[in-house]
Amino acid sequence: MHIADGIVSTEAVLAADAVTVGVLYLFGRKVEVSEVPKMGFMAAALFVASLIHFPMAGTSLHLGLFGLAGIILGLRAFPAVFAALFFQALIFQHGGLLSVGLNTLNMGAGALLGFFIWKLSAVPESLRALAAGFLGIMLPAFLLTMEFQLSGYGRSVFFILSIYLIAAAAEGILTLVVVGFFRKVEPSVLG
Amino acid sequence: MKHSYIDKYGDLNSLLHKLDPRAKVLAFGAALVFMISEPRGEVGVFVFYYVLIAAVALLSRIPLVYILKRCLMAAPFILAAAVLLPLSRLSPNVGKTGLFTRENLCLSLSLLLKAFGAVILLTLLVSSGKFNNLLRGLRRLHMPSLLGSMFALMYRYIFLLNDEMLKLKLARESRTPGKLRISRFKVYGNQAAMIFLRSWKRAQVVYHSMLARGYHGEFPEYGRLRFVWSDGFFLAGFPAVFAVIRIWC
Repeated sequence: MHIADGIVSTEAVLAADAVTVGVLYLFGRKVEVSEVPKMGFMAAALFVASLIHFPMAGTSLHLGLFGLAGIILGLRAFPAVFAALFFQALIFQHGGLLSVGLNTLNMGAGALLGFFIWKLSAVPESLRALAAGFLGIMLPAFLLTMEFQLSGYGRSVFFILSIYLIAAAAEGILTLVVVGFFRKVEPSVLG
Repeated sequence: MKHSYIDKYGDLNSLLHKLDPRAKVLAFGAALVFMISEPRGEVGVFVFYYVLIAAVALLSRIPLVYILKRCLMAAPFILAAAVLLPLSRLSPNVGKTGLFTRENLCLSLSLLLKAFGAVILLTLLVSSGKFNNLLRGLRRLHMPSLLGSMFALMYRYIFLLNDEMLKLKLARESRTPGKLRISRFKVYGNQAAMIFLRSWKRAQVVYHSMLARGYHGEFPEYGRLRFVWSDGFFLAGFPAVFAVIRIWC
């Protein structure tokens, strides 16, 4: 899901970087010093999660945790996703350095959607957790395919969505289990 | 616990390692922009870029195998894009012209060269010094203080999370050896939550210790970064050569 440098047009990448700077300012302003450790910790968790691979359908998938980040951090999840992707680009070359803005828009949108779903208090908590985890992956995958299509890769890229369906389902179940555990053991972690 | 994937070659003694991190960040960033802005389908011009990148890689003394491994890590996504691009150009005439036309091959090759060139540049930037020093350079380039603090804390917490993850993995493998099985999803989910909570508790202890020592949102810096003539020369020269290739070749 991480777009490398040189895959999408430079103009689109630089425009996305500019938009990301704006969104980072919007969601990162007025952050209390006491909030920063939690944001830094969640960013580290997102980074480490990408090292955990699960064997599935002859291949392996790694965790994203964008929905969970939205549940725990709310709107502050966006800067945390940026930090995690920036580190992933630098250390593992997962995604390009210049494309980090575009990747943040995609995956940060997943985290924000997770947060908005979590806030729907009329829906049962387990369903909200499941949906936040599932859509936290599917929305970035959908945005990725749209960007690829706009960059001239044609409709064939939509098969990417079908691949991510498996990852999103796994992520949804994992988020459900993790949120259930937090609710029993340390409810204060949940936003 | 051993975490060697960060800073593995940060201690080497090369010309690139001696440069100021600010000069490297700006120079590599500018070079990256010039290279990836090459139009799709351009192939020949990458000979010049790769000669230049190879020269810098040689100067850095970072092993070629390590750089190739980094390329391999990024390969699946890049290769998928390189295959998809010509496929998207399929037309009703494909039967006459074929998929493997010179134009389509140039498109794929250009994309591969561009993307792998970017990966190599990024590897050279990150591996030619201590990661902490790179973050320090970014802070000195007036990165917003929120990001600076978050990066610094995140850098510490990554090791902490990794430690907890390895401990729990060892404990699980000693009790139930064998491969991970999808049917035990609830167990893995609970373990992930446990790693998160245990690490979070440790992270809070670290943070409270920092507060007790006078932390107020800014990390104190020990020692000054020195920007010398060689840094200025690299900062001006390296992107300039990329710009010349981009404009005239």
